[in-house]
Amino acid sequence: MEFEIASGFIRSVLEREFMQFAIITGVLVGLLAPMIGSFVVIKRLSLIADTLSHFSLAGLSIGLFFLNILGLPIQDPLYIGMLFAVIGALLIEALRSYYKNYKEISMPIVISLGTALSALFISLSGGFSTEIYNYLFGSILTVGRNFVYIISITTAVILLLILIFYRQIVIISFDESYARLLGIRVNLFQFFSTIILGIVISLAIETVGVLLVSSLMIIPVAAAMKIGRSFKSTLLIAILFSETSVLVGIYLSFILGWPSGATIVLFNLFILGGVVVFRRMFFKRRLEKKQQESQAI
Amino acid sequence: MRVSVSNLTFGYDYRTVLKDVSFEIEDGDFLVVVGNNGSGKSTLVKCLLGINPVPDGKVFLDNKEINQFENWIRIGYVPQKLDDFNYEFPITLNEIMHVSRYSKVTEEQKLALLDRMGILELQHENINTLSGGQLQRVFIARALINRPDLLILDEPTVGVDKENVEQFYNVVNGLNEDGVTIILISHHLSPGNANYTHIMQLREGRSFLRSASDLHAGGDSRHGV
Repeated sequence: MEFEIASGFIRSVLEREFMQFAIITGVLVGLLAPMIGSFVVIKRLSLIADTLSHFSLAGLSIGLFFLNILGLPIQDPLYIGMLFAVIGALLIEALRSYYKNYKEISMPIVISLGTALSALFISLSGGFSTEIYNYLFGSILTVGRNFVYIISITTAVILLLILIFYRQIVIISFDESYARLLGIRVNLFQFFSTIILGIVISLAIETVGVLLVSSLMIIPVAAAMKIGRSFKSTLLIAILFSETSVLVGIYLSFILGWPSGATIVLFNLFILGGVVVFRRMFFKRRLEKKQQESQAI
Repeated sequence: MRVSVSNLTFGYDYRTVLKDVSFEIEDGDFLVVVGNNGSGKSTLVKCLLGINPVPDGKVFLDNKEINQFENWIRIGYVPQKLDDFNYEFPITLNEIMHVSRYSKVTEEQKLALLDRMGILELQHENINTLSGGQLQRVFIARALINRPDLLILDEPTVGVDKENVEQFYNVVNGLNEDGVTIILISHHLSPGNANYTHIMQLREGRSFLRSASDLHAGGDSRHGV
């Protein structure tokens, strides 16, 4: 029975273009999200992903308003969503330098603006619709060829940038003051990494939606950092967890008819829970072993 | 590296922290800066590292105006608070050394440095599993990886146990003997440990400099007001 379902899924992937697009998109987002997410987590900026996704929703809503109500020739609201994610990221940077001692204030300010604009333009665009639902919760099974091209090029460019500037990015993430001392142009790096973050978030929205995008970036990293022993191994484990969640999530949503975004995120959380339990058991066993050894002595 | 500070006054907003601070140390000297909390020690360090903007003509590194100084990898710095480093995220000592290496340092030289610091066997360890003393040596090694001419240590032995403090001073004294200029910031001076050539006291932002030979002779060569 299970074999038939699995072979049905594989046949569907081989035969149907939309399934191939979903798998390619999922794999690429599954690679990018935890990679960027790691640097976000190191800098203790986990909430930035949520903030930017909400701000990106404002752009998507405005895009829908332009398209559906004003009838402007916009190809896809996604581009306005991307633009807004970048604007939101720059706004956060500006507010963080304005409130130097209360940097976290920037997040609720930007999230409030994003949510208010979203609510306004969703209402002006005619209220809740399937498109809005897809933006909120993701719809990986509906991505088109164009989106696959965009995300493939973006992934290639970001991977290349990370490879070239790996040392600088790692130093800035772990110790900004020391990076300045080494003569690294920290502000310039931060400016570009903020823009990249905005772009990745707006692309990831297609996969799991505005409300779940931060989980795709943060949860695999949160799980990996509890078992990784080095930076590289933590990054690889996070990518492994993320890819597993995406592929299992797509498979389960295909056979059960569940929403893909929610399924991916729930599987991500399942892995995190597994890691927590495994670690507790592992440490408990090690502690018991040590106690037995000390009693024997 | 020669370090020269002349009549430096620096403050934040309305509060003046350093008042007319002046001192000079030559290549290979070992200066200890002592002072109570709030006396301006860390502010002075930030001025020397170019983090605090200082007016032209006040601070010279290697006879070069600090605002024109570019060769920052010649300066090694060990911060007061290791909290600036996000060390709760996994990263090994080796990875830290790899990303911090900005000059031509061979693998053998790196291993020799770790060996000298007594942390060679820890190179593949996640640094968040290390003790305070080991962590301190990791950050000194990081500061030394680019073979600096000047090493600035901001209260480096806070929270480090007695045995590790002694080991730390052995390393620092050895580096100074090898020609590295040292500026050590300390809340309290432990003269038995540091082989310093000069000592400067900061009191309410003002500086009082003495050379070690003056101190031993009971002389009083005060700099500043």
